[in-house]
Amino acid sequence: MLGPERQTQLEEISRQDHQAKLAKRDEELAYYPQKMAELDLKPIDRFRLYHPDPSRLMELGVTFAHRDLESVVGAMANGEPWAVVSGLNPSGPLHFGHKQVFDELLWMQRQGADVYIPITNDESYLVGKASSLGEARRTAYESVIPSIIAMGFSPDKTHIFVDSDYPDLYNAAMDIAKHTSLNKIFGVFGFGKDEEGENSGTVFYRGAVQLAQILLPQYEELGGPKPTVIPVGVDQYPYILLARDAARKKGFTPPAATFTKFGAGLDGKGKMSASRPEGAVFLTDDPKTAKKKIMSAYTGGSVLGSFQREHGGVPEICPIYQLRTYHFDNSRLAEQCSSGEILCGECKAQAVDEVLVYLADHQGKLPEAKARTPEFIFDTPIRSPLKVK
Amino acid sequence: MNIERLLSTRGLVSQAPSAEDIRSRAGSIAPEPMRLFYGETYDDKGHPIDSLKYYLFVSYLAEALKQEGSNVDPSILVADTAACRNVGQEHQDYYMLLGDQRAKFVSKVNDVYNTGLRVVRMSEYIDSPEFVAERDRVMQTCNADPELMAAVEKTVPESKVEIERVKGFMYSFDEIATILGLDIKVGPPREDLYDDVARRVAERSGQKGLMSLFLTPTFPLGMNWSYFFANEGIEDHGITAYKTGSKRLQRNRIVIERSDPDYVRELISASFISTNPAVPNPTLDIGIICEMAKRRLEGVDSPITLADEFYDGQISPNVLKERVGRDVETYVLSRF
Repeated sequence: MLGPERQTQLEEISRQDHQAKLAKRDEELAYYPQKMAELDLKPIDRFRLYHPDPSRLMELGVTFAHRDLESVVGAMANGEPWAVVSGLNPSGPLHFGHKQVFDELLWMQRQGADVYIPITNDESYLVGKASSLGEARRTAYESVIPSIIAMGFSPDKTHIFVDSDYPDLYNAAMDIAKHTSLNKIFGVFGFGKDEEGENSGTVFYRGAVQLAQILLPQYEELGGPKPTVIPVGVDQYPYILLARDAARKKGFTPPAATFTKFGAGLDGKGKMSASRPEGAVFLTDDPKTAKKKIMSAYTGGSVLGSFQREHGGVPEICPIYQLRTYHFDNSRLAEQCSSGEILCGECKAQAVDEVLVYLADHQGKLPEAKARTPEFIFDTPIRSPLKVK
Repeated sequence: MNIERLLSTRGLVSQAPSAEDIRSRAGSIAPEPMRLFYGETYDDKGHPIDSLKYYLFVSYLAEALKQEGSNVDPSILVADTAACRNVGQEHQDYYMLLGDQRAKFVSKVNDVYNTGLRVVRMSEYIDSPEFVAERDRVMQTCNADPELMAAVEKTVPESKVEIERVKGFMYSFDEIATILGLDIKVGPPREDLYDDVARRVAERSGQKGLMSLFLTPTFPLGMNWSYFFANEGIEDHGITAYKTGSKRLQRNRIVIERSDPDYVRELISASFISTNPAVPNPTLDIGIICEMAKRRLEGVDSPITLADEFYDGQISPNVLKERVGRDVETYVLSRF
């Protein structure tokens, strides 16, 4: 039992904390509409209104905007070829932040998309996330690719490649680079003083290799120009602009994009990232580690339970809320949290249960998934850039 | 069906004056008749079922007013002169002939559904001294007022403003002069621009302004969700009800005297349908036309509740499609 003075003190702390969290929520809620206006993106609402079965992340507003989905929906609805490309840095095992992206890719595959997943060990090495190309390559095959396969992708419509093992990508990159000026790349990415320490490879990667990944499904060996979607965060919009520009010059279909909010790290310090392992639940985490991370996570709740019962939590900024709604079916949770019906301890305990069930299932599938890797590896030769004209 | 019930028919009326305003107008002009009007052009692709929605609605409204003791003059304008202006000189005779066919079609509608609509052709009055004088007066009023003239320009699609400027906006002035003395003008929502100018011209000359009554927009059949997603703004304006070839979608329309019932059923079966009332529902739209037709044929005056039944979940999307597929043949196609 707390003394009256301590009780008052904790109530004041709770009140201030709650106000700060509400302010953070308002700031975050304002961020994406502002970005949409700035980048001239369209809200996903219209797509959600018409599509007979939109994705869970679209329903939640996590996938919140798009650019030019109009160019894709005809193929999507009429069973014609279309593609989605989403690359991944193999700097460590996958976590729930990655899973969010792959869930969206799985949904797109169910809508008929051919899913291309470049594993960018070249980028990992160039930007210093891996000590060597080989190390990142090993992580890709040992951990990343089996995890992706275990999520349930269909081998017929999934095309995974590790950049360094697919040299044809670099021929395509050279082909695309010819259509992309350095001025444009510097203009889009704003290379300047901050980037003085960067190596030339990052320029080639961003200005050519990444664009080649995006436009790869449109090469004649893969059926030629076709609608393509790139699921990205708003910070990656420059790549889309460059890719659309290069596509026009190549006679390809400018790729469309969907924009997704990042899932928050459990430490409340930004998006879930492998660079802050304590804030990420990895799909390879053992139950004890996962439980510890979840139970010690930052939340949208208050210091005092009684205060939270009265004033409710702030689910919009809560990583546990995001974990439980982005990945599991908890449609009432926002209401339960903001009304004070559920407190953080109980909510975290439920999150642990949900996550551990998922992890056990996922990890149980990994050995078989690893054995099936060859079924998913993409190695179609792209020789058209080498044609003599 | 009384006026209130008719105007509140879900899925049929998009925007309407209040029943009180309508009654008040009828009272203020009595014993003169209430002039109810719907005007349309046409193309060479046949008579779309969507025109029938307007003909039947005008007759329903006329009936409701008559039941309350008002004198009514419901008319359908076949704007043949306007239709001819939209095509090249070499097609003028052909389009006048098509106008003749459209006028005959409306007369046939009168015979089939006992609608009692007066059919007027634009060519019958466009060169008359009375109309020319009225149009001149409208032109003078508009030319003297830059704000009004700007509103006239807005009646023309942006891409055609300069062409119409050379022609002195004659097309627009003909339309405005035509609708100036009306009491209620029934039409699709996109006609608001003409109606607005007509009201402002009437106000300046101390005349009564027309009341606009908009029915729900027309949508193509046989299109899946992607068409509606990709055509932003279609919810508000749809496609042109009275032109079968609007947006070159003639294969996605039901054309009276031409469409094969089996093909129509296939079209309906392939149509986008949602239980969300905020999005277009071409099948329901056709279903409501069939309900109106059925009531006229059977002499029944009960309210049309199809949209309520559908959105309340009493009729499933598949059942609605089957029912509408049958009803189009029974109450419309087989009657012509």
